[in-house]
Amino acid sequence: MLGELEQIVLLAVLRVGDGAYGVPVHEEIVRLARRDLTLGTVYKTLSRLEEKGLVRSFEGDPTPQRGGRRTRCFAVTTAGRKALESTFATLRRMAVGLDVGLEPT
Amino acid sequence: MTPLPYRLLEQFLPSASADAIIGDLTERHVTGLRLWRETIVALWHLRDRTPRTVEPMSSFLTDVRIALRLLGRAPTFTTTAVLTLGVAIGAATAIFSVANPVILQPLPYRNPDRVVMVWEQDQDGSRSTVGFTTIRDYIDRATTFESAAALGDWQPTLLEGTEAERLQGLRVSASYFHTLGVKPALGRDFRADEDRAGVPRVVILSDALWQRRFGGDPAVIGRSISLGGTAMTVVGIMPKDFDDVAMTGAQIWRVLGYATTDVFACRTCRHLRMIARLKDGVSVERAQTELTRIHRAIVAEHPKEYATKGTQVVPLQQEVTRAYRPAILALATAVALMLIIAIANVANLQLARLVRRDEEFAIRTALGASAPRLARQLFTEALVIAVFGGLAGVGVAAVAIPALVRQLPPQLPRLGAIGLDRVALALVGGIVLVLAIVVGVAPRRARRIENVAEGLRSGRRLTAMRHATIRGALVVAELAFALMLLVGAGLLARSVIHLLDVDKGFDAGNLLTMEINSVGPRYEDAAAVYQYHDRVRDAVRSLPGVVSVAVVNQLPLGGNMDMYGVTAQDKPSSNPEDVPSGDRYVVSADYLRTMRIRVLEGRAFTEADERDTTNMVALVSQALAARIWPGESAIGKRIRMGAEHRAFRTIIGVTANVRHSGLDATETQQFYVPERQWFFADNQEMLVIRTRGEPAAMAGAVRRAIQQIDPAQPIVKVAAMEQVVAASTAQRRLALTLFACFAIASVLLAVAGIYGVLAGNVAERTREIGLRAALGATPRNILALVVGQGARLAVLGLGFGLLGAFALTGSLRALLFGVAAHDPTTITLATLLLLATTLLACLVPALRAVRVDPSEAFRTD
Repeated sequence: MLGELEQIVLLAVLRVGDGAYGVPVHEEIVRLARRDLTLGTVYKTLSRLEEKGLVRSFEGDPTPQRGGRRTRCFAVTTAGRKALESTFATLRRMAVGLDVGLEPT
Repeated sequence: MTPLPYRLLEQFLPSASADAIIGDLTERHVTGLRLWRETIVALWHLRDRTPRTVEPMSSFLTDVRIALRLLGRAPTFTTTAVLTLGVAIGAATAIFSVANPVILQPLPYRNPDRVVMVWEQDQDGSRSTVGFTTIRDYIDRATTFESAAALGDWQPTLLEGTEAERLQGLRVSASYFHTLGVKPALGRDFRADEDRAGVPRVVILSDALWQRRFGGDPAVIGRSISLGGTAMTVVGIMPKDFDDVAMTGAQIWRVLGYATTDVFACRTCRHLRMIARLKDGVSVERAQTELTRIHRAIVAEHPKEYATKGTQVVPLQQEVTRAYRPAILALATAVALMLIIAIANVANLQLARLVRRDEEFAIRTALGASAPRLARQLFTEALVIAVFGGLAGVGVAAVAIPALVRQLPPQLPRLGAIGLDRVALALVGGIVLVLAIVVGVAPRRARRIENVAEGLRSGRRLTAMRHATIRGALVVAELAFALMLLVGAGLLARSVIHLLDVDKGFDAGNLLTMEINSVGPRYEDAAAVYQYHDRVRDAVRSLPGVVSVAVVNQLPLGGNMDMYGVTAQDKPSSNPEDVPSGDRYVVSADYLRTMRIRVLEGRAFTEADERDTTNMVALVSQALAARIWPGESAIGKRIRMGAEHRAFRTIIGVTANVRHSGLDATETQQFYVPERQWFFADNQEMLVIRTRGEPAAMAGAVRRAIQQIDPAQPIVKVAAMEQVVAASTAQRRLALTLFACFAIASVLLAVAGIYGVLAGNVAERTREIGLRAALGATPRNILALVVGQGARLAVLGLGFGLLGAFALTGSLRALLFGVAAHDPTTITLATLLLLATTLLACLVPALRAVRVDPSEAFRTD
């Protein structure tokens, strides 16, 4: 079962897709999750996910608008997708038959 | 310019994380508060968590191991440095451990800064105890006191079972403990209604007495005990840790119980001390001003009963340490000087060693050791030496403190509180540690090897020269401080010599003294007391080895103050306070002969005077005779001691003056009266016995002989008269002993320091000296070169030392006797002594320089 932050960050990386790195991942979270997380928190969560083998990271290319600094790119691994699926399945099972508007549509 | 947050991130984050975050922040143009928030969170979450302590810790242990090995390889250096620091730390800790409870820590009473002692002040500015009626007037009129109390000495004999014991105690006003700010631990305090004449007497016991004589039984409260034949009721027990600073070691307190109608309560009967607790917010100065005003008013009301001109109000803390403050402060100064010299010397040793190790450091640098790494190595070495020095210091202090306490006068307040003072140890140890490290590492800053090759080639000579300057300065400081200590020791030595040279007026050799008592119902009658004294004298006189024996109420230099006013019949005085007072010596006929006090005019007492109670006679000392009848003979004149109704007696002889209150005291005046002619019998007497051999060897036999007469009477204070005399100079001799030790140690250190500098210098300059010799310098020139260098240091050091000595000896003034604080002879002798020793120390390296063979000199490298 993934933690809340882990779910949000994993989903954000999935949404950004190829070459996901700090800035777009963070923007996606702000836009959809409406959470004003700091970059530090995002990276911290990503490192934890990487330790668990749910994402992998690689160095991207430096760009001029970054002051010549490299990006650190992230991609969700198969294990990461499985963990998300399992989390959502659990939530669904727990919500079934409650009739309070939590059933998946 | 990189913004500070970026620099922080770069500094503290792994470089990949730092790049990613800084890049993102740049891309998003994050600034201001937001930037700081991002930075702090990133630093917190992403900081490098790989354990950092493992490497430095293990390398610290390695450093320690290396340091131990290197120090082990230089045993002379290590031993000298550790011992020097150890002795200095130990001595400083010991002195401060003594000084702290005795003079620095506040008294263990409630708001001790509020408690003051009040004295009357004589015309000459000296102070005196206060009369009961005067105290009552002070208390009635003063508005600055919260409470006040009178106190007087009281030495009752406790008769409990078959054992009699003399106790040290005080007679105090009922408000005494309240004024001090302490309460009994058990039972109750005195009540005001008990402090009246003629009411049943109550006493409070010290915890020590209660434990020792009553087994700590609480049932003793309310019990009646026999004190000097009078029954008194125990009402309270003081706390275990209570130490009465007004009388160190006091065991028992009773209420004063005076009435103003008592004969001893008169205004001229000044025999009580007074303490007061000031109201909150009242300064000592304000109390002083008020009491001076009150005293003037009282004097104006009773002009015939006061010769005192005012009062003195002194904080109790200052009062109890007054006598010992000069000695302890002087010692603290001495020990501080020695501490500085010790540290300077260790610094010197370190520097000398560093010069020799230049090549080692150059090679280690060449092999890749970084500068911080080498500095850490030096730091560790200094640390190791300081720690060993500290341990040695604890050992020295542990031995020195009990030795010091044994030397201290037993009446010193709060002696029991002295122990190895952890605060003092920590403080001194901390100072030494910091200084040792500073002097251990600082030299590295003075020398910096810019490049390795340079270090290997010529660094040695360059740094040696820089070091020579620092070492020269250290030696100058050492010599200066050593001279200060030497002058101090010299002045104290001359004082003690002067003191022991003083004509005491009696012969202390082969004289045994002890206190005998006659208390209890059997001795209520004076005749019984006299008879007891006669039997004691007879019994002791018949012992083999006894030359003569006498009883007397007090001993010269014994610390007693038993004085009476002496009024001459032909020179009446309008104010009883204006009459001269004399030390009261009530004696048996043999006293003067036993003490070998010279009779200068007239005759001594005979046995006939003893028995004759109608023709009253007296002897007076030369000083007393000269005071009353200057230029006239006192023989045949008539005097009266004490109150007006006492009879006049005829002077039959004039004796030599006796030093009564101290060898350094101005001559006091004495009068002598035969025992049976005095108006009361003393229940507590001193026995003086002139012996043929060693007096101490007779003590046992004398004691047994006296106890056969009445085993219930305590015999205490058994001492040879020479011990009594020595005890009166104890404070000075202690100061002298310690000053002399410190001075010798300092001179040795300073001389070793100057020797080290010159020897090192000669070794460094072998080639130069060889060159000079080759170019025609005579041995005399070379000798002058080296000795001249030493002499320059010596002259500088001694110059500063002289200035210091002038400053230091001022603080010694209270301890000096018969010698001026800036005594030119002492200062000259000390300077010459140190100069001679120093030049001698220069001569050894100088002669070595003379022997330098030019052809050898060029081969050294």
